[in-house]
Amino acid sequence: MTPANPRLVDRLASEYVLGTLRGAARRRFERWRAAGGLAAERCRFWEENLMYLAKELRPIRPPAHVWQSIQTRLDLQPPARRRSVTRLVAMAASVLLVIGLATMLYWRAVSPGRLADIATISASSGALMWQIEVYGDSGRLIVHGGEGARKSAGHDYELWALPAGGAPVSLGVLPVGGSSDRNLTDAQRRALLDTAQVAVTLEQAGGSPTGQPTRTPLFVVPLRTVS
Amino acid sequence: MATMSKNPRLPIAMSLPTQSSPALEERLVGLLDRCAATDPAALRELYELASPVLFGCLVRILRRRALAEEALQDVFVSIWQRAGQFRAERGRPMVWMMSIARYRAIDLLRHERAAPALVPELPERADLTEESREDLSEWLPAGVLERCLALLSDSQRRCLELAYVGGASHEDISRVTGNPLGTVKSWIRRGLQSLRQCLDS
Repeated sequence: MTPANPRLVDRLASEYVLGTLRGAARRRFERWRAAGGLAAERCRFWEENLMYLAKELRPIRPPAHVWQSIQTRLDLQPPARRRSVTRLVAMAASVLLVIGLATMLYWRAVSPGRLADIATISASSGALMWQIEVYGDSGRLIVHGGEGARKSAGHDYELWALPAGGAPVSLGVLPVGGSSDRNLTDAQRRALLDTAQVAVTLEQAGGSPTGQPTRTPLFVVPLRTVS
Repeated sequence: MATMSKNPRLPIAMSLPTQSSPALEERLVGLLDRCAATDPAALRELYELASPVLFGCLVRILRRRALAEEALQDVFVSIWQRAGQFRAERGRPMVWMMSIARYRAIDLLRHERAAPALVPELPERADLTEESREDLSEWLPAGVLERCLALLSDSQRRCLELAYVGGASHEDISRVTGNPLGTVKSWIRRGLQSLRQCLDS
């Protein structure tokens, strides 16, 4: 039951929306809010107003697999259609379109496009550890692992773009032996526009948990533009 | 952006659409209405428009990408299921979606034992690079709160930002800022009180 004191309800609503109301108090307030009335109304007031605090928040484009998972969870695949002549024609046209797209995608997958930037990381012995290639038009990052890179138990090597005047931006965990080929996110592409150097740090397995390097870089090498 | 473009071959993809705020809002309301009528194409469009902002918010609170990705799925599943409950006359669509995202993230923090104990510093305004102009301003209301926030002390404002944007608890803020828990609680309480008075006036 919602307390009768409107000032108390408003104070709790402000702390609930801000996020500092925690534990049992938060759960109790959630029930009041769900019941509607003053608690819900004051929450809407604070939600509208406090959103301004998010002014400096940076949007980040999520990876493609998130949308695929949402579609699967909601079972949003298009429904099966009844057959008719027009539908068959439409279906044939879609099949052709799909084949065309698939061919294009396959071609793009096989050919990453023009090489834009390259960096080479070698061990002190001179053995190649990684060759890093950025393909501008397809937005792909291809890393070839060399013999110089050795697995460090419980750790991974992480690659960072060092944009001028900004914080390092992770370009992902580096392969040890073998190669990797992945699509850059928009944030990574933007960072690379202004990046003249990349760094490698040794992080816990799976990469830095904070999104920023947690250790001193093992290597800092130039990222050269290929012209 | 043009001045910092080292390599013109790399395309620049902006995360935010360029419409003015009222047009954007109208579009979001229309999409939510269509979601309520179970139109999957509308959800896809809504996701294209709103997911970068919501994901940015989730990453900031949850700190870990994998967890934030999972939370983003939950958020869009909720948006789809609850779109019929959205009422444009009661508030703006982005506020409604952002609240779903923030509450989900705070909820997950509660269950996450490994929740990070430290919240990094928020960037100071002067330190923001040109890139940071790609901010949320077009999603935000006219500056009523900005005027009211200007009335707060720096400590009060900073505590509110750490809590709202970073999902920090009283204890987190006390640790990060090095101030006693009681002081932090009172800054937040008084900060909210001042905002309430200013917004009501």
